[in-house]
Amino acid sequence: MAEQLEKVQAAVSDLDLDNIAPLVREALDAGQAPKDVLGAMCSGMAKVGELFEQGEYYLADLVLAGEGMKEGVAILEPLLVGEALEKKGKVVACTVKGDIHDIGKNLVCTMLSTSGFDVVDLGVDVHEDRIVEAVRSNDADAVALSVLLTSMVDSIGDVVKALESAGLREKVKIAIGGACTTQELADRYGIDALGRDAVEAVRIFEGFCA
Amino acid sequence: MAMSSIERVTAALELREPDRVPTMDVMEEYSNIYEILGKKPVPLGFLVDNKYASRLFDLACPLVNKLHLIDREMDHFSHDRVDASVRMGYDSVWTMHVPIWRFPDSKTATDIYGRYYDLVVDHKGNIGTPMYRGGLLSGPDDWDAWDKKDILRLPERANRAFSHIQKDFGNDIFILGSFLFGLFETCWQPFGFERFAVMIRREKEFMRRYIKFYEDLYCMMIEAWADAGLPGAVYSDDQAYRSGPMLNPKMMEEFFGDSFRRITETAHRLGMKIVVHTDGDVYPLIGWFADCGFDGVHALEPTAGVELAKVKEMVGDRMCLLGNVDVTHILVDATREEVFADIKQRIADAGKGGGYIVAPTNSHPGMRLERLRWMLEAVEEYGHYPLKV
Repeated sequence: MAEQLEKVQAAVSDLDLDNIAPLVREALDAGQAPKDVLGAMCSGMAKVGELFEQGEYYLADLVLAGEGMKEGVAILEPLLVGEALEKKGKVVACTVKGDIHDIGKNLVCTMLSTSGFDVVDLGVDVHEDRIVEAVRSNDADAVALSVLLTSMVDSIGDVVKALESAGLREKVKIAIGGACTTQELADRYGIDALGRDAVEAVRIFEGFCA
Repeated sequence: MAMSSIERVTAALELREPDRVPTMDVMEEYSNIYEILGKKPVPLGFLVDNKYASRLFDLACPLVNKLHLIDREMDHFSHDRVDASVRMGYDSVWTMHVPIWRFPDSKTATDIYGRYYDLVVDHKGNIGTPMYRGGLLSGPDDWDAWDKKDILRLPERANRAFSHIQKDFGNDIFILGSFLFGLFETCWQPFGFERFAVMIRREKEFMRRYIKFYEDLYCMMIEAWADAGLPGAVYSDDQAYRSGPMLNPKMMEEFFGDSFRRITETAHRLGMKIVVHTDGDVYPLIGWFADCGFDGVHALEPTAGVELAKVKEMVGDRMCLLGNVDVTHILVDATREEVFADIKQRIADAGKGGGYIVAPTNSHPGMRLERLRWMLEAVEEYGHYPLKV
C-alpha cells in the first residue's frame, strides 16, 4: 500500500480525527484514486473494529471513527460518482416500531457501509410495512433490526410476520441486536442471527451474503 | 433480635453481615405503584393519543409548564412510590425525584438539561417514562446561552420533597435519594452521542467546564438530601451497554474521576452512603467505582453478561452489590419456582458475609407485582443468616 494510503488508514484506526480529512486530501493530491483512498479508510475502520473486539476500543471510539469516516467520505463522494464499487450485499436496517434508540443501529449501519455493504437505513420507530416495502423495492438480501426496549420486542415478530405475508421471508435473512435481545428471543421469532455489537454484525451479514 | 430495615441495609452497605439479606425497591411504574396503594390511576395517555384531547393538551402546555404542574406531580409521585415500597415490605428504596420535564406539545417532552423526548403511553393507558430522542444543544455556545435557572432550583425542590418523605417513612425504610441524571449521561445526551464522542476529544476544556457545573450541582443535591435526613443516595448514571463501557475507562477517569471522588466524599462527609447505578457490562469499570469511593454498585445486569459470583470475587470486599435480578423474564413471566430458584442462586452467589442487597436491575413496565412479591418471599426463605444456601 502506498505511503499516503497507509497514513489515511492509520489516521482512521488511531482515531486521529483532526488528520483524517487533511490526509485524504493529501492522498488525492498525490494522485491516489478516490476508490483506493476509500479502501484505505475502510481498512482503517476494520482495524477499529478489531481493536473494539479486543477490548482496546470502546463504543465512543467506534462512533468517533464513524464520524471521521463521514468527514473523509464527504471529500471523496463527489469524486466517486459513477465509480462501480463492488458491494457485498444490500441490507435494510432500522430500529423497530415503538423504539427510538439509534446509537446501536447507527453504528451497525456505519460498520456495514464501511465494510462494503449497501445499507438502506430506515431510521427509528419503523413500522413493519415500511420494512417490507424497503426490502421489496431495494431487492435487499438481509434485514438488520435493532431493539433496546424489552417492551418492544414483539415488534420483531411483527416484522417477521409481515415479511412472511409478503412472501419475502425466504428471500431475506434477518439479524437482531440491542440491549434486550437474547438467543431465546431470536429462536422465538425464527430469527437467523443475534448480534452482540456492530463489529459482530459485519461478520453476520458477510455470512448471510457469502 | 431482628434488625430494623435501616440497620439491615446499613450493615450490608458497610459489608457487615445483617440478620437477613436486605431488599431494595427500584420501581418507577405508575400502574404498579397505584395498584399497591389501592389508588385508581387516571390514565392520562388519552392526552397524547386521542386526537381531540391532544389538541386541548397542546393548548394547555404553556400553562402546564408555567405553573410547574408536572413538577408538583413529581413531588406526590416520589412520596407515593416510597409509600408503596413500605407496603410491599422492602428494606430500602431507590427514590427518584425528577421535576425536570417540560412539554412543548402533546407529543413531546423536553427537560431542563437540554434533551428532548417522545411521550409514550403504556399498556394501561398511562403516560410512561418519556423516551429520549436526542439533544437540544449543539456545542459550547448553546450551553452558555442555556437557561440554568430551573437546574439550580433542583436542590431546594429536592430538599423540600425528601424532607416530607423522610419524615413520613424514614423510620420504616432506608431511603436512597436520587435524581436524573448522572454526569456521564448529562454529558452526552443533550448533545447526542455522535457529537459527544467528537467533543470529548476536540473540545476538552469545554467538556471539563461543563462537567464541573454538574459536579457542583450533584454535590448540592447530596447536601440537600442529607439536610432532609436521608441516609443514602443512588448516583444513577448509565455508563455501559451490553458491549461494555461507552467511553474508554481511561477517559472516564480523566474526565469524571475527580468528580466522582468529590461526590462520594461529599456523601460520606455528611454521613450518607452512596451507590452507583449503571446498566450494561460493567466489568471494566467496577474496580474503578470502588476506587472512587462508592459504597455499592447497582444493576449488574445478567442480560449484559454480568455474573454476580464473579463481581463478588472482583470487588465484594470493597463494595456492596445490589441488583442482578432479571427484569426480562424472572420478574415478568417466570413461575414461582423459577423466581425462588433464581433468588436462592443470587443469595448463594453474593450473600456470604453480607454485602449483597436483592433488587431488580431496573424499573420496567413488564414487571409483575406477583413476581416481586415472590422475590421478597424468596428472600425471607433463603436470606436469613447464617445462610443455608
